[in-house]
Parts: sequence; C-alpha cells; structure tokens
Amino acid sequence: MKTIWIKSISLCAVLCIGGIIETALGAPLMASRVVGVDTTKLFMNDDIWNKAREESVVLMAQPMVIPRPATTTTALLKVRAVHDGKWIAFLLKWTDAEKSEAGRLGQFSDGVAIEFPVKDNNAPPPVFMGVKDNPVHIFQWRAQYQLDKERGMRTIADLYPNMSVDMYPMEFKDPGKLSGLTEEKRDMFSSGKAAGNPQSYAKKKGVEEIFAEGFGTSAVSASVEAAADGRWADGEWSVVIARPLKRENGSILDVGKSSYVGFAVWQGGKDEVGARKSVTMSWLPIQVVAQ
Amino acid sequence: MSKVKNWQLNREMEYAYDEHRPKRQWAVVFDLNKCIACQTCTLACKTTWTSGKGQEYMFWNNVETKPYGSYPLAWDVRVLEKLGSQEWKKGAAYSGKTIFEAAEPTERAVHFHPKDEDWMYPNHGEDDCLGNVTGGSHITLPHDKWFFYLPRMCAHCTYPACLAACPRKAIYKREEDGIVVIDQSRCKGYGECVRACPYKKSMYNAHTRISEKCIGCFPAIEKGFQPMCVQNCIGKIRIMGFINPPWKARKNNPIDYLVHVKQIALPYYPHLGLEPNLYYVPPVHAGMDYITQMFGPNAEDAVARYRKLRDDPVAQGLLVLMGGTDRIIDSFEVKDGLVYGYDEKGAEIISVPLTEPLVERAAYDEKLSAVRNNTP
Repeated sequence: MKTIWIKSISLCAVLCIGGIIETALGAPLMASRVVGVDTTKLFMNDDIWNKAREESVVLMAQPMVIPRPATTTTALLKVRAVHDGKWIAFLLKWTDAEKSEAGRLGQFSDGVAIEFPVKDNNAPPPVFMGVKDNPVHIFQWRAQYQLDKERGMRTIADLYPNMSVDMYPMEFKDPGKLSGLTEEKRDMFSSGKAAGNPQSYAKKKGVEEIFAEGFGTSAVSASVEAAADGRWADGEWSVVIARPLKRENGSILDVGKSSYVGFAVWQGGKDEVGARKSVTMSWLPIQVVAQ
Repeated sequence: MSKVKNWQLNREMEYAYDEHRPKRQWAVVFDLNKCIACQTCTLACKTTWTSGKGQEYMFWNNVETKPYGSYPLAWDVRVLEKLGSQEWKKGAAYSGKTIFEAAEPTERAVHFHPKDEDWMYPNHGEDDCLGNVTGGSHITLPHDKWFFYLPRMCAHCTYPACLAACPRKAIYKREEDGIVVIDQSRCKGYGECVRACPYKKSMYNAHTRISEKCIGCFPAIEKGFQPMCVQNCIGKIRIMGFINPPWKARKNNPIDYLVHVKQIALPYYPHLGLEPNLYYVPPVHAGMDYITQMFGPNAEDAVARYRKLRDDPVAQGLLVLMGGTDRIIDSFEVKDGLVYGYDEKGAEIISVPLTEPLVERAAYDEKLSAVRNNTP
C-alpha cells in the first residue's frame, strides 16, 4: 500500500507539471484463477475470495475537473480480484458511515467504478477518463442502481408518499374510449424517458458500462454485459463487479497477461456525484493469473 | 478561465468559456408596476411543460412576493449571503466580485444547494409587506409599507452558471436564439446546474433522474411566437423579443429600446455576473435600498425615468404594445397616435392606439329613464 501511495503522489506531480502519462509500477493486483465465477451469485463463498490477495488502493479527491471535492472523502479502497477464464470479478470494500441511495431532490448515491484501457493494455491513455481516439471502458455501480436491480425504479409515490397530485397526463381513472394508454405512451411526457436517456430507465444489472475519450465525454453504453451486487453493513460497502474478460468493442483482458485498472468511489451522503469523487491518481497494474 | 465582456457590469469578468454571443438573444422585459401575481404565467407554463411525473414541484415560471417571498426558499438571500457584501458605485464599472470570480478553486461558482424542503413552499411570503403596520399607522401615499411581485423564469443568461458547472457538457446555448437548454439525452442528473444557478432555475426530476429547466418555449420562438408565460399574461406586463448588446442596440427594437435607449428596464442581480436576460422595470413604490440591491446602482434613475413616461409618446407607445400580440415584435414605431408592431420582414403584426378613446356617459339615461351606475 505504501508503495502505491508514494508512486501516486509522484505521478500526480509529473502529471500536473508536464502532462506526461506513466503507469504506476509497484505490486500488481493479482486476479487469481478460480472455478466458476457465478454472475447470478456474485458474493461467492469466502473460500473463493480468500484465494485472492487483498490490495489496499489509495484514492484521492479528483484533482483535474471543476467542480471537484475540496478534500478526499474516501482514502482507501480494498480490492480483491478473481477470474475463471471467462469472467473476472472484483470485490471492492470501503468505509462509508451512511448508506446513500439517492432518489429525492438533492440526494446522491454511493458508488464505485472500475476503469480499463481499451486500445492497448501495455500503453494505456491518461487515467483521467482517457483521451480522444484512445478511450477508457468504465463499469460503474451505484447504490441507486442496486435498488433498481432489486426492486425496480422507485416511483415518485415511493419517494414522496405524502405528496398529492391531481392527475398526470394520460392517466385517467376511466380512460373511456382512450384505450391502449401504455406506460410507454405516458413516458412521452417525461423528457428524459422520451429522449431515451439511459439514466431515466432502471439499471437492471445494478451496473452500467461507460466509454469515455476525455473529460466530459463519457457515454453510457446501450448494452451491459457486466453484473454487480452490493451490500452495506456496519459502515462498510462491499460491492462485487463482474465483467467478461473479453468485451466486444470494449476492453479485453487476457489470461496470463497484465493490464491496468483505475478506481473511483463516490459518497453520496457527502454530496459526491459526477466529478466529485475520490479516484486513483494513476493506473494500477493487474495480472490475470494463468493458474 | 477566460476573460469575457459583461456589459451589464461595464467590465470584463472571468468565465469558464470564451465569450460567444449567439446570433440572437432571447430576452423578456417585465413592468413590475403592473404585475398582480395572478400566476396565470405560472399556470400557462405548468400546463404546457411540467405536468408530468417528477415535475410536481416544478415551476419553471413563478411569481414571488418581494422582499419575503422566494422559491426555492430564500434562494436570493442565500446566494447574496454567500457572495458577501460587494461594492458598485453609480456610473462606474462593478468593482465587486461575481459568483464566478468569488468561487473557491474547486468550484465554478459561489452557490448553495437547495434540498427538497426548500422547494415545497412556492407561495411562502405571499403578500407579506416590509415592516409592521403598528396601531398608530394609517395610510399615507406614498406609504412606507411595501411589497411587490417578481415574476421570473430562466434568464437564458449570456454567461450561464449552469452551463459552466456541468462537467458532462450536457448544457448548451442555442446559436439561433440564445436559449439555454439541458440535453435530455445526455444529462446524468449530477445536479451541478441546480447547485450553480444562483437564480435556482435548474431543477432535478426524481422520476427521470436528470435535471430540467425552462426551455424558453423554443418551439413557439422558432415559429415567431412569444413564450406561453408572455402570451398568457393577462396584466400585459411582459414582452419577449431579442436583445442586442448595447454596442449593437437598434432603436426600433422593443427590447433594445426599453433596456438600452430608454434605460427603464434593468437586469436582476446583474452583479452575480451571468448577464441574465430578464429585464425589469423596477416598482416605483418599493424601498430604494432594496431595489438598488436587486437591480443595481441605476435603479433610482430607472424609476425616475418611468415616472416621466407620460411625456414620452414613444416609450408610452411601446408599453401599450406589451401584451397586444402573441407574435414576436421585431420593430415598432409610433405615428399618428398609433403604435405599430412589425415582424422581421417588416410586415405589420399589430397597431394599438396610444390612448384609448374616452367615452363619458351621463349618469342618467334619458331614453330608458334609468339611473346608470357602475355596479354590475
């Protein structure tokens, strides 16, 4: 841990001064080989996770883009990784005194994200969201999306049970001759849904896949191959994000070879969202162990 | 940060992006002396744009009583308090700091973040006047107890704080009319615009999980019509058009005339630095300290000029033109006791007499042998 910390600091200095992109060396994160990563049961038994060495990853307040956090909210992320030759799963743990699932106005969600280079696993783009023509591939889990997965999107009535409203467009107690008023037709009155914004629809897998080629360019992928599951207990989040080693048109990890990862954590209860997050200041090497 | 020209402050200021003025700039002028807070504008907007799920609390257009009304709660006081006391001497450039210039290095703007409770009382402070009416008071004119109504929506600022703060670049200013919109397919609901807009006119939709705001009724604008809040104003206190910066002001443009030529309409809280495009004729009866805080050091002069309008047939003509047509008036002229409004091609849209003919009826109707009275 100490090693990564020191190298992160020095890399930041290099980045800030000259914009030179390097990768952190230090001990790589080892993704141990196990049998059968079950995407329907991501909190696999402890025996499997115990095969993976836990690494402590140091995070710092996102320093590049304004608005940004004034102080680091999450300083430490504990990471384990396992793979079965087809899927790789990450167990991510961090301390967060309160569980924040967003929903109402002015509330934000806890979240965690893993980032991979897309084009070249040996020479990744800048860790801060990639660069034009050299994208990064991001998997973001949120407590809000976890609820989507477990119970579906919360309705306004769920969020504000004491609210009263006369009626919504096209919602009639007695529709009369206006038959066939489906939810899809009503959604035409909700601009986010009508515009097909993925944020306005339930994240059924609890995680979304994002591609970015620099600050302010991140785009949510229409298809999600990854799976995720999260639990909060005793002031700590435990989240498992699993992804296929090979993602078509995305990042690819090869068994027996190494690549790089980056991490980010958001604490919604501290108003963290978007660019307000704690991040790894440089790429961390990861080794997908052959045996 | 870039250096940009803010004519409302009469100086350059810092902003996140370079200066880029659109081909035309959407703007609305309000005569606050005429607003009665009937909220017809509010409902016209509500029924047009925000009747859906997640929009229950939203009033893209609202009318609040000043000084005590506010929606969301204390939006103005909280922003002013955060910015702190600033100096602006009459006749000089603004010497204080804007919300961009006073921002922490980690932020785009000085701001506060409203919570949901703050949005729950849109009529808070309604009709509350400044000061107590004590047992000994009686009405004198002008009276010392005052309030006025402030109708407002998104000001489609030349330097929007919402746009500057959005890390996803999901907010843009339309080249054709200067209307500021949130891309509903790109926004991810970070709420940075809700935090950064000092006027609090970006709003989060908990149903779609992204943010929304006034769209300036751009579908109407594109067809040459004024926004719904303007079209439906029964007090005829508003006019929408396109404003030019002062160095390009055109005398026969209604907005330019009221703002630049006659200088009776002023932007609200211009010192925040956004170059907002809502312009108000200040109320003549309200406390000058308050009016100056809200409209800047020229407020007193604007009130004085407004009081003399009866001697100015051109300005008077323009004021009677307000609310006379749903169409956007590109130019106007006063001749032969009439005021004319024209579209962009110079075709006449409307003509209104400067003074309505006065008909005096005798108190007694000889023909019907009946006393007339004005009780319906």
